[in-house]
Amino acid sequence: MSELTFEKIDQTVLETLKPPDRSYWLTVGILFLGVLTGAACWIYQILTGLGVAGMNNPVAWGTYLINFVFWVGIAHSGTLISAILHLLRAGWRNPIARAAETMTVFAVCIAGLFPFIHLGRVWMVFYMLPVPNQRNLWQNFQSPLMFDVVAISTYLTVSSLFWYTGMLPDLAIIRDRATGVRKKIFKIISLGWTGAHEQWRHYARGYLFFAALATPLVISVHSVVSWDFALGIVPGWHTTIFAPYFVAGAIHSGLAMVLTLMIPIRKLFHYEKIITVNVLENVAKTIIFTGLIVAFSYATEFFMAWYSRNPLEVAIFKYRPTGDYAVGFWIMVICNTMVPLLFFFKRFRTTILWLFVISIFVNIGMWYERYVIIISSVSHDFIPHAWGLYSPSIIEFGIMIGSFCLFFFLYLLFVKHLPSISMTEMKEAVGQGASHAD
Amino acid sequence: MGLFTDENRAVSAIEAVKGSPWQLRRVHSPIPSHKISEALNLKKSKVGWFTLAGGITGFFSGFLLAVFTATQWNLIVSGKPVVALVPFFIVGFEFTILFAVFGNVAGLIHQMQLPEFKGLEEYDPRCSGHHFGVTVSCKADDLEGLKHFFQDKGGEVKVISNGFV
Repeated sequence: MSELTFEKIDQTVLETLKPPDRSYWLTVGILFLGVLTGAACWIYQILTGLGVAGMNNPVAWGTYLINFVFWVGIAHSGTLISAILHLLRAGWRNPIARAAETMTVFAVCIAGLFPFIHLGRVWMVFYMLPVPNQRNLWQNFQSPLMFDVVAISTYLTVSSLFWYTGMLPDLAIIRDRATGVRKKIFKIISLGWTGAHEQWRHYARGYLFFAALATPLVISVHSVVSWDFALGIVPGWHTTIFAPYFVAGAIHSGLAMVLTLMIPIRKLFHYEKIITVNVLENVAKTIIFTGLIVAFSYATEFFMAWYSRNPLEVAIFKYRPTGDYAVGFWIMVICNTMVPLLFFFKRFRTTILWLFVISIFVNIGMWYERYVIIISSVSHDFIPHAWGLYSPSIIEFGIMIGSFCLFFFLYLLFVKHLPSISMTEMKEAVGQGASHAD
Repeated sequence: MGLFTDENRAVSAIEAVKGSPWQLRRVHSPIPSHKISEALNLKKSKVGWFTLAGGITGFFSGFLLAVFTATQWNLIVSGKPVVALVPFFIVGFEFTILFAVFGNVAGLIHQMQLPEFKGLEEYDPRCSGHHFGVTVSCKADDLEGLKHFFQDKGGEVKVISNGFV
């Protein structure tokens, strides 16, 4: 990082915003086709009915809710990196903060789609909003599902505002180097930012408050998501460990997704001098930490089931590693708790290929974690004659593929049109006092 | 405007201008700078008061919204009181954060006076890159003296309009 100057940082990041080549548009096009596939599946479900999904009685919560929790989880490390690590003054966060914040915004948008999809009759969504209607029906805010509506809407709003506010100085940099229509667009969206001392005085304070507010928010949001389950009396769900367990799991998956996204971008955009191996190594070290918390949570669940002597709890925790969804369970355990332990060895933390491969394993493992939690509990709850199995239908697979394509589609559009690295924060990290030109 | 590639030189110019007959108008920098803030004796921003006001408004809005909706039908759910403090506190908490952030944004917009495009007329685009710009106003007959002052301090001079250097 010592080789970097202010000019080099600007040049490197602005270089990424030059008109892309055909391969970029081809990739964007393929992803858009994936988005259309997902949209077509959803439209088919709306026209035909929710029965086209694989959900049944007793498994009424399927991949839509799994993907909802998965994407909310992915969203969490963005705020961890941009807010919590900002408050902790962790300098290594600066090169990846913008990418992580953007990931947060897109992931929350996609997560927010799934309750709509899960509703079936999506036009009834206004029942969840506190607006007067002709039958004078109002929401019951004692339900964790209503907490969710409030929490996710708040999180989307706050993370979007945080993202945009953080980008203002960078938008001004682009404005000052752009020409024509692009200059006009960036002039408007940068709101006339000039970096005057009066602006910085308020901006620095406001940004600090953003970080301070986002920190408890991020913890509350995934706690609220966990209460969707924990406040139900279903065996395997009704436990107080769910909130911290979900928050740690969310950060675990989000950090893995940061690696999955940043490693290809680092290579494609020649960000090697900005996103150094040391930065990726620090993400890997944090993954070890969150992985150990997740492992401890898994073990605690089993211990509490045994210690409680509650036959239903004991039954579900015997069922998970040995029953119908045992493959998912072991994928979850191996990918989330064992594979990240490889990061204890420096060679794995500092080899780009290993970082990427392990991040993919953690992503898969965290998806399966939600699969195991949601499906195994409701398919095998109280009375044996009410037990049932679940497997996603092709429509659910289509929508799931569509959601992943939408995420990467939005992300690809972002990295070529807006600065994927915060130039201002990088300049701060490079240090003040020295001469800043080449 | 004196343009400096070195933050310390910009700070030195600011300190020197303070003891001169010229008037310091504005300082532009590519990063928030503690040294410049100290040299300018900047006070703490008042954005926090907007944030606080938003947060307090948010808590009561959220909590009272939950109370309002619950009391429309007065149904006891899950054995909890109609006005249940713990669940409604969660709604209040989320609204606290949401409205505090709205207050924060409103405070930033109000205090920074954005959007504001006139400031761009007294601005050099290099200040968003790697230059620190110190804008000083002077009388027309002082212009040469001010130019020499900035040059002596190691800066590049840009005359913005009559009187602003």
